[in-house]
Amino acid sequence: MSSIANLPAVIRNRYHGFISFLFLLGLWSAASHYNLFSREYLPTPVAVVTAFIRLLSSGQLCISLGSSLLRIIAGFFVGTSLGFVFGAAMGVSQTMEKLFAPLFNALRQVPVIGWIPLIIVWCGIAETSKITFIAIGAFFPILISTFEGIRSVSPSYVDVARVFEYSRFKLLSTIVLPGALPGIVSGIRLSMGTSWLLVVWAEINTRSAAGIGDLLTRSSEGKKADVAFVCIIVIGIVACLINELFGQLETRLSSWRKSYR
Amino acid sequence: MERLGTLEVKHLQKRYRTRNDDLTVLDDINLTVQPGEFISIIGSSGCGKTTFLRLVVGLEKGYEGEILLDGQKLNGPSLKRGVVFQDHRLLPWFSIEKNVGLGLKHPKSAESRKTIQEHLELVGLKGFEKHYPHQLSGGMSQRAAIARALVNRPEILLLDEPLGALDALTRMYMHQELERIWKQEGITMIMITHDVDEAIVLSDKIVVMSSRPGTIKKIIPVPLARPRDRASYDFVKIKEEVLEEFQLHTDYPFTYTI
Amino acid sequence: MKIHVFFSRLLGLLIPLFLVASWHYLSVHEVVPTTLLPLPSVLFDTWWDMQKSGELLLNMKMSLLRVGGGFLVGASVGFLLGTVMGVWKPVELYLYPVFNFFRQVPVVAWIPFLLIWLGIGEWFKIVFISCGAIIPMALKTFEGIRGVPTSYLEVVRAFEYGKFRMFRTVILPSALPSILTGLRISLSEAWMLVIGAELVAAGEGIGNVMIIARRLFQTDVVLVGVVVIAVTGFIMDKLLDLLETRFLGWRRIQNVQ
Repeated sequence: MSSIANLPAVIRNRYHGFISFLFLLGLWSAASHYNLFSREYLPTPVAVVTAFIRLLSSGQLCISLGSSLLRIIAGFFVGTSLGFVFGAAMGVSQTMEKLFAPLFNALRQVPVIGWIPLIIVWCGIAETSKITFIAIGAFFPILISTFEGIRSVSPSYVDVARVFEYSRFKLLSTIVLPGALPGIVSGIRLSMGTSWLLVVWAEINTRSAAGIGDLLTRSSEGKKADVAFVCIIVIGIVACLINELFGQLETRLSSWRKSYR
Repeated sequence: MERLGTLEVKHLQKRYRTRNDDLTVLDDINLTVQPGEFISIIGSSGCGKTTFLRLVVGLEKGYEGEILLDGQKLNGPSLKRGVVFQDHRLLPWFSIEKNVGLGLKHPKSAESRKTIQEHLELVGLKGFEKHYPHQLSGGMSQRAAIARALVNRPEILLLDEPLGALDALTRMYMHQELERIWKQEGITMIMITHDVDEAIVLSDKIVVMSSRPGTIKKIIPVPLARPRDRASYDFVKIKEEVLEEFQLHTDYPFTYTI
Repeated sequence: MKIHVFFSRLLGLLIPLFLVASWHYLSVHEVVPTTLLPLPSVLFDTWWDMQKSGELLLNMKMSLLRVGGGFLVGASVGFLLGTVMGVWKPVELYLYPVFNFFRQVPVVAWIPFLLIWLGIGEWFKIVFISCGAIIPMALKTFEGIRGVPTSYLEVVRAFEYGKFRMFRTVILPSALPSILTGLRISLSEAWMLVIGAELVAAGEGIGNVMIIARRLFQTDVVLVGVVVIAVTGFIMDKLLDLLETRFLGWRRIQNVQ
């Protein structure tokens, strides 16, 4: 153990995980090398890397990722803006909460994937349906986190503003919004992560020209396990990146909160 | 028969090694506690008194020197040493009865039930068996914690600022109670505190510690008859003697230490 | 009930009533074709027909069996995984980084891989659902065990408790709130994934009923499906809520005080 302790922190913190990943890779190579399973079921690591390079150099991977990301951005934008508006309105006004809370609470009970057939009936299988689906998925996390973020702002801060005779606008912009921000940002992170997996679901259920979900569907139809592996890894890495990126945003925007933790 | 519960500490030293620092928390601690004695350890925060206690309990590992209980070297926690923490640490998901029975091997046996009952009576919590910790006040919780520590008849009871979180009046009441329990059980007690009055009311000896590194500065005997009168001349005299060690007898300069 | 409370409750019905009314208006006057937006009253008839013919019951039974199986397997494996990582430090050191990577890969990405391995039969659905159910359960169990206060552990360490007794008296009860949260997330995840799996791979099940109905443009059946899965999900969540009240009695009372 002492030899590990002498390594620099960057390596030391990841040492054990690195070993495990290496072990998995070794297991995988061994299994495919000794033909434990047929190639159709378990491609060799080399085959996966080759497939990755092939998909990358043909531009297919980039196009797929690009189209999926465009859908996400559109759906995420629509869903997040609507969710924020409703969440903020319900957070600030009791009347709005009473008006809308029962409706949204009922709609929220539908598992997101359950909307797919209905959306296809209403919007067809073109872009609109995919974007609508992602928007629905992004809507609820933001709605809830904005609402709860605003409600979690301590009344004692609001009292401070009252003492200073702040106007309603100033109260919202200086006390309520900054107080609710960390909650909202974590909602954004959540809905962004959701969007990423929902775009895959949408693309699996409604064919389109390009998209990471289409690549996935085609790999399973053609029984191309190497492409399926590439998809799993790419989807996983993008998910990690989204998480990391928005996690950083979250820590930066809510750094004043650190002292609380 | 010789009574058990002699604690001997010889040249105890405790160091924390961090990556680029070597911090000596306790240095050359020598202390002998006779069976049935009540000892208070007093010192400002950060003087290592809690570390000392944790070493004696066995919750802290790695030290130089010797800690002997009845001539035997300590090796990890043991049922021979009971401990009461500052926060009562009653498990919120168990009733008081179950909490008190935590230290028993077979808490459900008839014998254990009787022991639990006796100890609840000892600390004055009869009738609260089925209550849950959140239903008890701070003082009552601490009584339950004391009962829990005593239930397996340890030779020595270690108390880490047991009354620190209580309000002043409850505290004074608990002093009487603690003294009564100590007398009734005839057990060795070592208490950590930063309340000078509390130390003088309860102890046979007061160990004054200095900080960084924690060493024993002075051991002050308290030869007063019990129950002790907080307003008596001798009491105040001893209090002055203790406060002298902290140079606190005039005013009270206060700084935060972490 | 006071009058103003009654009226404020009524306020919540305003928007849904307005929506249903305009929906009714739109479909009666055929502003939107009834194939797309059937009359609200038709929905009830459709539901009743599906109920009477046993179609709904049969398909729900299939879906619920799959959820049951997948959830049971997934939650158990997740619990074990989380416990092992939480209790043994070396396991955590080696396993957690791998787990942390795989948990971020959305379950949907495994579909082609699982399809290639298991085909589109029952095994695919159950394994797929279990995969989804493992992750929240393992994570919440692990977090729960990590969050056990050291102060409680020290109490029983002073009493010379062994690992097993310590686990039973302190670790498990202390981690239970988090574990039950994991159970809930797991179940709702499983319920969503069964719909997803049934959309992708044919076979009986409520998701399949919906996908067939949408091909035939039976919007009423699709809508009934949406309502049914929402209500079922809601009921399942409430059932776990009861479980929580039962096991976390000590905590609830504590929170009230």
